[in-house]
Amino acid sequence: MKNRTKLPNVYLGIIIAIMYLPILIVIIYSFNTSRISSIWGGFSLKWYVELFRDQSILEALKNSIVLATLSSLAAAFIGTIAAVGFTRVKLRSSGFVEYLSTLPIMIPEIILGVVFLIYFSLLGLPFGMTTLIIAHTAFCIPYVFMLVKARLAGMDKNLAEAARDLGASGPRAFLDITFPLILPAIASGMLLAFAMSFDDVVISIFVTGVNTNTLPIKIYTQLKTGVTPKINALCTLMFFVTVMLGLLFVFITNITNKRTTTKESSQ
Amino acid sequence: MKKIFTILLCLTLCLGLIAGCASKPQTSGGTLNLFTWEGMFPSQVLKGFTAETGIAINYNNFDYDETMLAKLQAAKGGDYDLIIADDYIIETVISEGLAQKLDRSKLTNYSNINPFYQDQFFDPSNAYTVPYGAGVQTIVYDPAFVDIEINGYADLFDPSLEDNIGIIANYRVITGLALKILGESYNTEDVDTIEAAGKKLLELAPNIRVIKDDNLQDDLVSGEIAAAVMYTSQVTTAKLARPDLKVVFPSEGIGFGIMASFIPSKAPNADAAYTFLDYILRPEIAAECFEWIGYYSTNSAADSLISKEYRDFLTLPSDFSGDTEMIQVIGADAEDAHSKAWTAFKSASGK
Amino acid sequence: MKTKRRNGLSLLSIMPLYLFTIVFVAGPLIYLLVLSFLTRAEVWGVVNKFTLDNYRNILDPIYLKTFAESFKLAILSTSLVVLIGYPFGYFMAKLSAAWKRYMMLLIMIPFWISSLIRLYGWIIIFRANGTLDGILMGIGITSAPLKLLYTYPAVVVGMVYALVPFMIFAVYSSAEKLDWSMVEAARDLGATRWKAFTTVSLKMTLPGLLSGIVLTFIPSMGLFFIADLLGGNKIVLVGNLIQEQLMKAHNWPFAAALSVVLMVLTSLMIFLYRRITNVKELEGLI
Repeated sequence: MKNRTKLPNVYLGIIIAIMYLPILIVIIYSFNTSRISSIWGGFSLKWYVELFRDQSILEALKNSIVLATLSSLAAAFIGTIAAVGFTRVKLRSSGFVEYLSTLPIMIPEIILGVVFLIYFSLLGLPFGMTTLIIAHTAFCIPYVFMLVKARLAGMDKNLAEAARDLGASGPRAFLDITFPLILPAIASGMLLAFAMSFDDVVISIFVTGVNTNTLPIKIYTQLKTGVTPKINALCTLMFFVTVMLGLLFVFITNITNKRTTTKESSQ
Repeated sequence: MKKIFTILLCLTLCLGLIAGCASKPQTSGGTLNLFTWEGMFPSQVLKGFTAETGIAINYNNFDYDETMLAKLQAAKGGDYDLIIADDYIIETVISEGLAQKLDRSKLTNYSNINPFYQDQFFDPSNAYTVPYGAGVQTIVYDPAFVDIEINGYADLFDPSLEDNIGIIANYRVITGLALKILGESYNTEDVDTIEAAGKKLLELAPNIRVIKDDNLQDDLVSGEIAAAVMYTSQVTTAKLARPDLKVVFPSEGIGFGIMASFIPSKAPNADAAYTFLDYILRPEIAAECFEWIGYYSTNSAADSLISKEYRDFLTLPSDFSGDTEMIQVIGADAEDAHSKAWTAFKSASGK
Repeated sequence: MKTKRRNGLSLLSIMPLYLFTIVFVAGPLIYLLVLSFLTRAEVWGVVNKFTLDNYRNILDPIYLKTFAESFKLAILSTSLVVLIGYPFGYFMAKLSAAWKRYMMLLIMIPFWISSLIRLYGWIIIFRANGTLDGILMGIGITSAPLKLLYTYPAVVVGMVYALVPFMIFAVYSSAEKLDWSMVEAARDLGATRWKAFTTVSLKMTLPGLLSGIVLTFIPSMGLFFIADLLGGNKIVLVGNLIQEQLMKAHNWPFAAALSVVLMVLTSLMIFLYRRITNVKELEGLI
């Protein structure tokens, strides 16, 4: 650890900078007077004014947040306990079911959307939040499942076994030993799943109902008139809110963590 | 790491709170479930309607006409009160029995409609639809970067335009362009003719820089391309930003299209749909709408109210005598021939 | 007795996945399979008449080429994602606990912003006389606009950009549990930095790398709107073809057949890949 060079950190910095470059452009162009998204026409706040006038966009944002939260939670639950379960039991069918569960991310969303539409209407499910959550959970599960699975692979099974031998019950051993160990994988999987769900448009268009327009649907369906910088304004606001809240919470977490660590070590 | 969850949860809660502030205003007149593309009405028109009638608008969006039809079919003609879509799909909607006949006595402003846009193939007796915006496909080019004078589609094949043309991603329009050069109809169902048009189109491939439907005008305005085949609303936006651009009605013939509104067969609140239709047929409201969407006005009474800045773009020129043809649904074999020719053309453009 | 109960619990824990997959994944996919053998209606919808024409249609060289294009782009993007994402995930795992959290957040935030809008950002960057041209011409590397937009490299950049977080997170979550003292030990025993990496670190992060590859490769086969927006629609991928058959040509059965073939080919690739790499820890990981 002592002879670590600065090089890796430089690398991380460069990649992060590239990742944020398009975002920076989006932010700059949200203040653009021109309706044409690629021509700089001067500084203006008019798209922000437009944005706050538009109730339906904020309504759609709310739907998107609810949808992404619920489906990433559902995917995290189903994916995690299944990944853990598969390390203990092996049914003849489990390989096949695992394979099946990854198929939704293998084919283009558009055909999945059409098939879901027809299938749900055959089942008689009413289109709305329920159908949205089901469809989104279907393509979110693989992300959580595979990340947790990779984390569990080669992990010391003896730990949980030992805990159980010492009298801890199955669920108890899981919660105390396995769960904390796989938490980073669950968290990354959930974050990815949330992002995928929050951004999905094609499947959503097909399975949504009359009261559940989502934000991506609003953005992608401006085909007839062109995407306006109003969306840039929205993205800019969302960006700053997420960054500020995120950094704030990580900051607080880091401070509390430091405190607990010092306390533990002093005891 | 457990904290990541807390963070995520708190983030969501906060965002949820922000979004929560956006709860809908209280209304008394029921709800209108509108189903069309996003951005089809200026927000003040929608707000004005709710303020005046007490009917809340629930604005739902689709991307393609086909998505709309699939959803409407799954809803068995219910769920939505008013739909605005393209002409050709409405023909199918009507033949599938998914639209209801209009009661014109409920539309006091019906006479404002410009008869030029009525009696069309998709609704020959105007029993089901009210036209909204209309458009033609035109060639727009930047004279600063184009050495030749462009009068029609054939000029786009000029070698001086290599890698410099943008076209919309609608194969009936683009293969249709080659059909027009060959002197054929957009709607020919003869597979050999379509294949011949496909072959002709391959000669255009070296000149193609971009094929896309959304925001094609950006590329023309910013100088990424020198000429483009575009929709009317894109032409409007481009001309407003760059008055020096030249607009050409192709000499070979002009593709023409109408977006129209209809009430689904089992609309839960058809009355609200009538109220809304009548509202947007008012001249002053219609003028606002056409300025917003940038398509041709189909409302004669609104024409004179459209501001000067926009009027030239939103009404057909008075001396307009072009040979127009609407793109209609064709049989399966012809459609398959079209899509095959299109795929070959796109791949050839990538070379 | 005890084992039985334990098995019961484990069985119970995989049940949600079983149920969900069978009802909401297998069900729709069976419908997809059936659809691929039906006949298209003249104008709209399908006719319940069995046919193999949809599969025969795919053998047309024009359509076969789209499969080749899709594989080419997916393999190229996945390779670049490995090159860029693996070191990132690996270095990230070496950071302090606090920085790890910041980093995770930093990677995720861009992906909570509409991908379409981010792609518009890239379009502005790549545009003639756009951001990149400005930078390159400003420091004198190039003298004229590069015309980067609507080219193959632009598409590859967009693909890598969209897919790299999957790799980073997969590698990170397996590198994070890595026992660094073992790397130190290897170094102490005289191994070079590179040797220590290949014998210890790489081996232990392999499950993450491999699941990252799968997680990148699978969606990259179906992604097509990046090729549309940054490539100007000139690279025809299977995804484009499927969308066009559904939304423009109204040929649903052909679209279904294309999807079935795409699924089979992608699965085959992953199966082959698993056989070649043949890593023990990966058993059951697809």
